[in-house]
Amino acid sequence: MNSLPCSPGVDFKKLSLMEALDLAVTVEEEARDRYVELADALSIAHTPEASEFFRKMARMEEKHRVALLTKRRASFGDRPSTVGRLQIFDIEAPDYDTVRVFMTVRQALEVALQSERKARAFFKAALAETTDLEARFLFAELVAEESDHEAYVLAELARQATDPWGDPPGDPADYSDEPVSQ
Amino acid sequence: MVVDLVLGMAGSGGDGVVSAGESLLAAVSSHGYHAMMTKSFGPQIRGGESSCRVRVGTVPVHNPGGALDAAVALNWEDFLKFGAELELAPTTVLIHEAKAGPPPEALVRRGAMPTEVVAVPITELTNQSAGTEKAKTSVVLGLLCGWFGVPEDGVRRGLEKKFAKKGEGLLETNERALKAGIEHALANPLRSTKRLAPPPTHSPKLLCDGNDLCATAALFAGCKFFGGYPITPSTEVMQTLAKEIWKYGGTVLQAEDEIAGIGAALGASFAGLKSMTATSGPGMALKTEIMGLASIAELPLVILDVQRGGPATGLPTKSEQADLFQAAFSAHGDVLRPVLAPISVGDTFRVTVEAFNLAEHYQTPVIILSDQEVAQRKETVEPIDTSRFTIEERLAPSASDLVDYRRFRHTESGVSPISHPGLAGGSYLGAGIEHNEKGDPTASGAEHARMNEKRFKKLEPLQHRRDLFDVLGPSDAPFALISWGSSAGVAREAFELARAKGLAVKLLIPRLLYPIAVPVYREFLASVEAGLVVELSHQGQLHKILRMQLDLPAGLRSFCHSGATPFRPDQVLAELEALAAVGVK
Amino acid sequence: MDTATTTCGATATPKDYSSALKPIWCPGCGDYGVLQALYRALAAIGRPPHEIAFISGIGCSSRIPGYTTAYGFNSVHGRALPIAQGVKLANPDLQVIVAGGDGDGFSIGGGHVAHAVRRNLDLTYLVMDNQVYGLTKGQLSPTSPKGLATVTSPLGSLEEPINPLLYTLAYGAGFVAQGTPAEMPGLTALIEQAIRYPGFAFVNIQSPCVTFGQEEQQMRAHKAHLRPLASLGHDPSDQLRALDLARSYGKELHTGVLYRNPNPPPTYDALVRERQRALAPEAKDRSRLLDVFLQK
Repeated sequence: MNSLPCSPGVDFKKLSLMEALDLAVTVEEEARDRYVELADALSIAHTPEASEFFRKMARMEEKHRVALLTKRRASFGDRPSTVGRLQIFDIEAPDYDTVRVFMTVRQALEVALQSERKARAFFKAALAETTDLEARFLFAELVAEESDHEAYVLAELARQATDPWGDPPGDPADYSDEPVSQ
Repeated sequence: MVVDLVLGMAGSGGDGVVSAGESLLAAVSSHGYHAMMTKSFGPQIRGGESSCRVRVGTVPVHNPGGALDAAVALNWEDFLKFGAELELAPTTVLIHEAKAGPPPEALVRRGAMPTEVVAVPITELTNQSAGTEKAKTSVVLGLLCGWFGVPEDGVRRGLEKKFAKKGEGLLETNERALKAGIEHALANPLRSTKRLAPPPTHSPKLLCDGNDLCATAALFAGCKFFGGYPITPSTEVMQTLAKEIWKYGGTVLQAEDEIAGIGAALGASFAGLKSMTATSGPGMALKTEIMGLASIAELPLVILDVQRGGPATGLPTKSEQADLFQAAFSAHGDVLRPVLAPISVGDTFRVTVEAFNLAEHYQTPVIILSDQEVAQRKETVEPIDTSRFTIEERLAPSASDLVDYRRFRHTESGVSPISHPGLAGGSYLGAGIEHNEKGDPTASGAEHARMNEKRFKKLEPLQHRRDLFDVLGPSDAPFALISWGSSAGVAREAFELARAKGLAVKLLIPRLLYPIAVPVYREFLASVEAGLVVELSHQGQLHKILRMQLDLPAGLRSFCHSGATPFRPDQVLAELEALAAVGVK
Repeated sequence: MDTATTTCGATATPKDYSSALKPIWCPGCGDYGVLQALYRALAAIGRPPHEIAFISGIGCSSRIPGYTTAYGFNSVHGRALPIAQGVKLANPDLQVIVAGGDGDGFSIGGGHVAHAVRRNLDLTYLVMDNQVYGLTKGQLSPTSPKGLATVTSPLGSLEEPINPLLYTLAYGAGFVAQGTPAEMPGLTALIEQAIRYPGFAFVNIQSPCVTFGQEEQQMRAHKAHLRPLASLGHDPSDQLRALDLARSYGKELHTGVLYRNPNPPPTYDALVRERQRALAPEAKDRSRLLDVFLQK
């Protein structure tokens, strides 16, 4: 079976277009949920700007998911999805350890950048493994789209760099109170 | 003829003194007498000295009594060790092994020497009749039959029961020894004329100790889980349940420590079962944190504390009533939990069932504050009509409760419907952390205040549980006795003696020790000018709690002493009379 | 083999096990990943949430039951195991999971571990081991490495850490594994296998404390250094080899199943049930319970 480490149980050699679409939808769904989770954690931890940025990312991933889902429904209707969340591990979703209390928006952008790159690499690898022509075409499209996302994040980063305040030096936590005990 | 007889004996471990006491108790109870037996041992695990005292009456006996009517010493060395348990008076008939010689100087120096001291060649009689020294106590039983009117056929039946399984020979041997004892007694009449009057009726009775009855009551109440750790003097409860509970679909877990014992019991309650743990003072201290958890998580749990002398190891085999503060107050945070105390072996049944009912009804830990004497003395109990008991179950959520289920919903009574794992729609987070109605953790002071109020409010009806108090005597009496636990039986007898002497006294015996039922005490104390709160502790803990929560009459004072030696009715009577004498002036 | 993937095909989804309560862990905490792995493992097994009892003690990680839709009990410090045993014995049909941190499980509650293991109830014990006290803000924990300077060991600790893997193996646990949220598919599979193991199953989860943990114990370091036991060719039925591997706790980050008893003995709860069934015919009517004391 030709599976990738972060998507155990998915056999790319035999992947059909519908299965590839299901996979892509699930990847976007996971990324959306993760951004919401991280945004929640950051907002509880009084890091509102980064939190807000992650919510924006969540909205973006949701848009992408809906687009893919529409495509899938158009071709294959409401047949149950062939890929479940149990087979998807942090493909586009940022790892939990990428966030920190009091992180800046710039740092949050870096997280998103890494995630988009991670996703692109995944779809690229999938493209290499997959034999079905239509599925290959989809993965190629996804690689391109993730590149676009990456470009968007890079542009945002560039805009941030012109921020007259810049990033605080060192660990942002140095400028804060101790975390509050329960 | 006397209606009440107190017999005591002491010997070394191998003499079978306690076993003889058991036979005696079985004999008289099967004849319809009321009786109780207390035993006392040296510190050795096996082979130490031992003693027992049996009080027999044609009327109910409420306590082990005062000085002995008859004392049997198999040897002086062992007898002397039980000075407090086997108290002598000039009226006592002191029977001793002849070859031990006359009473030693140490005994004479104590004073109150019996005027009638009888030497009996017990060993010689045993050897002649039974051909072995081992049947010594059967000779003693024979002496008691011959001299004091202990029913001979009852003793004989007792021997049959005891030795039937151990082989013909052994039974015959003991029967010969019994006969020799009786014949010796008849041939050598006493000067004393104390002979036990025949019992008024032949009604059958239960014979058991408080721990046995507690375990049985737990099964009766529907207890399905026991988690505990061995500790004197409560272990028999776990031992009994460990034999029986499986039959009823229950489980006993002998845990690795006191904390795990109550932890497992609480877990079982969380899972929906009626559950209990048992311990003594030191174990209570260890269980305190989880008792707090049970309170805040509002989980039913019964905790038996069989009190012994403390603190720490203290006097592990002796009774004391000094855990009341611990039971009522040992808590972190604002906690209110019911504390109940049985006053006798028979009372343990009712109190245990009540404890389960309160725990389930109010979703709270409930402490049964027994004590070593009530727990371990063996006593005749009038048959209990179990059909008059109701058994309470916890309030289950209705279908509408399970729509957006709120486990800690504020209700008028303060009691909220409780779900348990396995019930669909009832999932919630049980927590030691403060929580909102749903059970979700909160750090809000206002929420905490509301929840504290709920947890206190639900127990308010206990203030009016008059049925958990015995009130005896004229309602306008100026003198009063208040007593609880094993001391209550002594106070009861002192009260009866005082009433017989014409003293205007009344008696209050609470089973509900905490929360203090203020209206009940107020009503009782309205007429009282002076009185005694009788309890077996150095501090007089109930008296102190009453002072804290009520305006007591100036003349109501504590009458207490440290544990190990129970009060005697005559002591309490004398104190009461002295108080009344001052009060009358 | 410990590369087993999570079972697919169950109709439950991870979301079914996620409650509305938002975790209050620090952003970046390892426990977020553990929670996600747990949701997935529970979905893979597919028991309805109300048939799961999730018991914890006190600590950051002990908050975890509240984040699930199972029946949870966030009890007191160190006592999750005894409480969980009571729950399981009360109703063996429940799936009982116990969770907590290294302080909860191996310090204040350390005395209970040996007994939970020897009783062998069908419980799953998940310890989120971060080698530090996070909730109380950075004190020495029972698994902190020797020499660690913390607020309570400012000059460096003088004691050796506890070795949770070696302990539980030596006590005789039938299932011992170690995972990290730095490797989510593996962790998910481990939790699932632990729950499925019929007996006491222990998973030591190296879950970094992002706020008070050391640099070399963060996820980044885990990702760089973790050594899957499968890649070492370890046979999980080899108890002696498992003991040997466990000795490198704190030095190597082995992930996977160290030991799984290939012939699991009957569990305590099963034996209890058997005993109850066998003795049920001897039950007396409630009204006859006192007859044993009757003197005739």
